[in-house]
Amino acid sequence: MADLVNVGVNLDAFSHAISGIQALRSSVSRVFESLKDGMKNRDTLEGREKQFIVEFQDNLQAVNRDLNELERLSGLVGRPSESHPLHNSGLLSLDPVQDKTPLYSQLLQAYKWSNKLQYHAGLASSLLNQQSLKRSANQMGASAKRRPKVQPSTLVLPPQYVDDVISRIGRMFPDMTIELFRPNGTSAVLLVTLGKVLKAIVVMRSLFIDRTVVRGFNENVYNEDGKLDIWSKSQYQVFQKVTDHATTALLHYQLPQMPDVVVRSFMTWLRSYIKLFQSSCQRCGHFLQDGLPPTWRDFRTLEAFHDTCRM
Amino acid sequence: MGVTCVCQVPVAEGKSVQQTVDIVHKKLEQLGAVKQGTFCVDCETYHATGNVSGQPTKLLYMMHNSETPLSCMALFEGGPCLIADSNFDVLMVKLKSHFQKCQGTQGGVWYCDNELQCQRDITLTFCVFPQVEYCPCVVPGDCWNLTKEFMQSFLGPSVPELPSVFAAKPEGLFAPSDGVDTMTQYLELFNKLRKQQIPGRFAGKKV
Repeated sequence: MADLVNVGVNLDAFSHAISGIQALRSSVSRVFESLKDGMKNRDTLEGREKQFIVEFQDNLQAVNRDLNELERLSGLVGRPSESHPLHNSGLLSLDPVQDKTPLYSQLLQAYKWSNKLQYHAGLASSLLNQQSLKRSANQMGASAKRRPKVQPSTLVLPPQYVDDVISRIGRMFPDMTIELFRPNGTSAVLLVTLGKVLKAIVVMRSLFIDRTVVRGFNENVYNEDGKLDIWSKSQYQVFQKVTDHATTALLHYQLPQMPDVVVRSFMTWLRSYIKLFQSSCQRCGHFLQDGLPPTWRDFRTLEAFHDTCRM
Repeated sequence: MGVTCVCQVPVAEGKSVQQTVDIVHKKLEQLGAVKQGTFCVDCETYHATGNVSGQPTKLLYMMHNSETPLSCMALFEGGPCLIADSNFDVLMVKLKSHFQKCQGTQGGVWYCDNELQCQRDITLTFCVFPQVEYCPCVVPGDCWNLTKEFMQSFLGPSVPELPSVFAAKPEGLFAPSDGVDTMTQYLELFNKLRKQQIPGRFAGKKV
């Protein structure tokens, strides 16, 4: 209560000033309304013009009056005192040279700003956490040091389970053959042959798809050692584009709790490329654009689009 | 590698063959193609001597393609095809008693339009045969529409027909490594041209 008494704000003048602002706003809107309505109907053109000018002048003078009144009132309102110190930091306000070292007011502003930032960040994180985007085992946040690191159980799966899932998916699609290799430890590398159109190499990490490379049917998938070549790009621009789209797809299809559903969705999407050279673009109707067939497949409808035509 | 399609372009009215070829080349350059070199396809016809009378003379066609310079292809029209190395030419000379030579040669220019498609023109004295190869695809039935659209973009709206090789094996693999399917297409077009021309007057010229 003592704080209220110490307040340097003239509450009366404050309320007068607020009504002054309202008066100013209404007179300004009156000016624009009269401009919008234009000239009123009178007998002669001169009469109309005179009437309009007189009205306009009246409105502008009202605006001027209200503005002067508002300036007078704002002089009376006074500055809110900064005498509610934040404990010890209030001692900074004792420095009299306010112009050169406005420490205390800057401190208050920074404090208000950081409060707002924390509030907004809290809102954003609650929204983002609704969609779990984690692809790694690390837990971020303040609790990471206190709780022991808990790995999601889907990252450590027995290889036999992975083999079973892959072979089941391979049987689902008759025109797609999937061969499984394990050239480097427990991570599986799949060689997916889609009809006579393309060959895709999919590198997995337990049941999560890590990266993929797509090459043509007649291109070599093995390097000189006889091992699967998982790094070099296709020599054809078409398949380089399809590789980019496949990378987008494996980032799109995500469900950390059910990775086998993810793999199945990805394979269904990849299978739509069986008609890579036969389909025309759904949007422009042509087969070729910039020398490329429609390489984009929509993630939901699996329709074919050119890369430049997709919506 | 890839699917090859050869078609025939009628010479524009009032223009010579060279002018038609120049028009096509200009359109290709507008599409972004870059001239890479020259190539040559030639065809020599032999007819079998010493046949039993009453049977039609069998014609053997010996074709060479500078794309595969070490090979030599011998085809019977619609029949079996033999691919041999270049010594086969010498062998044919030795078989003079059975086969008589009677034909000429043709040639062409090669454009390459990014790494996907190679386009070649074969020009005779009175006809132009563009050849389009779409490298990424190996099944002819799949990419016929795509190839047709590409050909229409620089040849105009005249619709090329589906080559019979495509119709014969739409799902099978196009045989890229030995070029048999390509040569079969050339052979059909040459023979069609011969039938249109006055017999005996046919003569090719190297461009």
